[in-house]
Amino acid sequence: MKIRQISLFLAFFIAFLFLLTLNISLGSVSIPFKKVWEIVFFHETTSTSGSIIWQIRLPRILFASISGIYLSISGLLLQVFFRNPIVGPYVLGISSGATLMVALVMLAGIGINISLVCPFLLSVSAFVGALLVMLILVLLSSKVKSIETLLIIGLMMGYLCYAVTSILVVFAQKEKVKGFFLWQMGSFSGITWKEFSIVSFLGIAIFIGLFFLKKPLNAFLLGEEYAKTMGVNIKAFRILIITISSALSGIVTAFSGPVAFIGLAIPHMARLSFGTSDNGILIPASAIIGADVIMLCDFFARNLFSPIELPISAITAIFGAPIVIGLLLKKRMII
Amino acid sequence: MQKIIEIKNLSVGYGRKVVVSNINQQILRGQFIALIGPNGSGKTTILKTLSRLISPLAGSVYIDGKELINLSSNEIAKKMATVLTERPNPGLLKGYEFVSLGRYPYTDLFGRLSKEDKDKIYEALRLVHAEHLSNRYFGELSDGERQKLILARAIAQDPDVIFLDEPTLHLDLKSKMEILNILYMLSRKKGITIVSSIHDIDIALKISDTVWLIKDGRILDAGPPEKIIDEKRINELYGLKEVCFNSILCNIELRLSENGSGRPIFVIAGAGKGAPIYRAHIKRGYRIITGIVHENDIDYQIAKTLGLEIISEKPFSRIKEESIKKAIDYINKADFVIDSGFPIGSENMGNLMLIKYAIKAKKKLFSLRKKEELLKYMDNADGIIFEKVDLFDQNC
Repeated sequence: MKIRQISLFLAFFIAFLFLLTLNISLGSVSIPFKKVWEIVFFHETTSTSGSIIWQIRLPRILFASISGIYLSISGLLLQVFFRNPIVGPYVLGISSGATLMVALVMLAGIGINISLVCPFLLSVSAFVGALLVMLILVLLSSKVKSIETLLIIGLMMGYLCYAVTSILVVFAQKEKVKGFFLWQMGSFSGITWKEFSIVSFLGIAIFIGLFFLKKPLNAFLLGEEYAKTMGVNIKAFRILIITISSALSGIVTAFSGPVAFIGLAIPHMARLSFGTSDNGILIPASAIIGADVIMLCDFFARNLFSPIELPISAITAIFGAPIVIGLLLKKRMII
Repeated sequence: MQKIIEIKNLSVGYGRKVVVSNINQQILRGQFIALIGPNGSGKTTILKTLSRLISPLAGSVYIDGKELINLSSNEIAKKMATVLTERPNPGLLKGYEFVSLGRYPYTDLFGRLSKEDKDKIYEALRLVHAEHLSNRYFGELSDGERQKLILARAIAQDPDVIFLDEPTLHLDLKSKMEILNILYMLSRKKGITIVSSIHDIDIALKISDTVWLIKDGRILDAGPPEKIIDEKRINELYGLKEVCFNSILCNIELRLSENGSGRPIFVIAGAGKGAPIYRAHIKRGYRIITGIVHENDIDYQIAKTLGLEIISEKPFSRIKEESIKKAIDYINKADFVIDSGFPIGSENMGNLMLIKYAIKAKKKLFSLRKKEELLKYMDNADGIIFEKVDLFDQNC
């Protein structure tokens, strides 16, 4: 790694700490920076500020940053895999699958009784939806010859789920539709330590898989055929990529709803700022940039029109799209 | 030489469609094999099957005595590397990083490069003369520089065999020569077997130890090019009606569709002086008759490949009366006559008779030599248009 890359990592890490403090400090109740650190370090939960931080802001912002990490890495994996720069974590229909299942629960009322038993009904159903789409893709992945076919199948799955969802919307009650629409836009509000621990626990398992992916992922930069001649086990690699990327984006979607743009844009920001396509560097780089950006976006989502909270997807898109266009105008769009 | 690959009753193709069948060949260590044949004859399919990118439809391939399908992908990657026609686009990778991907089969689970790996990468870069590209982005390089790195990546894989599909496609002359020289050096000095499809048949014949001629779903013939290639073979291979390849010169001449349909002209040639005149005038649509040239003359070979009408003489013999008469008949019919400036010696003195005849018959006669030189052999040179006129000028 070069000095430039090390200093970039350092800079993004400092930004991470700053954004973390900022997000904990500001909100409908402002808490000064100094006090924030005191409360966090001494685990002070008794005061009002203490309970706001420990019960609301800290789990929320940590969850948000983990979402940013997962979505960015999911997008990176799929961009390299499909050798296509405009691919994101939701391109394979993962979010559509999740949305369809959520629509079935929220709009059609299917399984609503279970919610008494399982407090995470929406999250579980969203995750099941993502998982189903992923399973179909994994099953098909060893059957289809070219990766492009797989990409198209993913897109078609998305359209199919979307079609069923829209039918459900037409027949649903008005009040329910608004709730469903807001869910679709994504939000980190109401996240507690429970959600955070589930997401980080599942994430650790996935991250272990990620360590073994860096090498074949780099070989894939030359295309599938070259990768094959260099000894990459294509079938296993396809399954691993689809599983890991879908699981990463599926977990996030399950708790926060689909978050647009992050997975597509962050890998580009990482590539252009670190000046490399080496996935050994891009995986950690996308992770830290993803965390930074999503925290910044959540900050604006909460504070811009406080006390009304904006959907996270709206902010990510408004902020990110122009940045990406700017970056890409300078250099060509690359994988 | 030691045998490295053995191919038995191999059929290659996609799905149920057989492209080339019944291949039985041996490949020796350090051999340079060129696959030639028309577009769509199956060269790429053969290369992809040998490198196990696609499975054989029937038959088997043995490498070092072991059947290809029984080897693991990693074992195969250590034995053979492949350079495809499809040009990779690795994004923001630098030359060194690009070549280092070739170490894939040797590195650990995390892809870390050992000292040996790094040495091999630098050696590969040195072999293709691309050390200076190691710190530049792949995307910023020219086609020729990229191809060097692509080759270096294959070399870094430390293989016994490299399969290449059209390695010189889209390259300029200099890059082409560099790439071919590297391949030649790999086979001669490093003992790496090279199996490559090459579209330029003249180059293929000059560089390879063995050629495989591929056509109509089979290997037409295989062997040393000097032994199995002649004009007939090339015509058969590419389905040409007329000769445009010369196996002595290993040269290809362009047969233009309008050749020989225009006004007739007569070129008195010899010792290569005729060749540029043929080429300049054939483009302008003239029907060219040339003579009197000996069959061992370079002008004869070129004229033959261009498909001209030739009045010829047996090698090393004096020009005969009847040849002169035949030539005079043609001169009478020709629009004009060109004296190419051929060297005059005892065997081709007869050609001077043709010049003298043309003067006497008041034919329009161009000469590409000095007047004084001609006057040594004859009394007058009246009416001859000498070098002042540029025969190669389009306006002429």
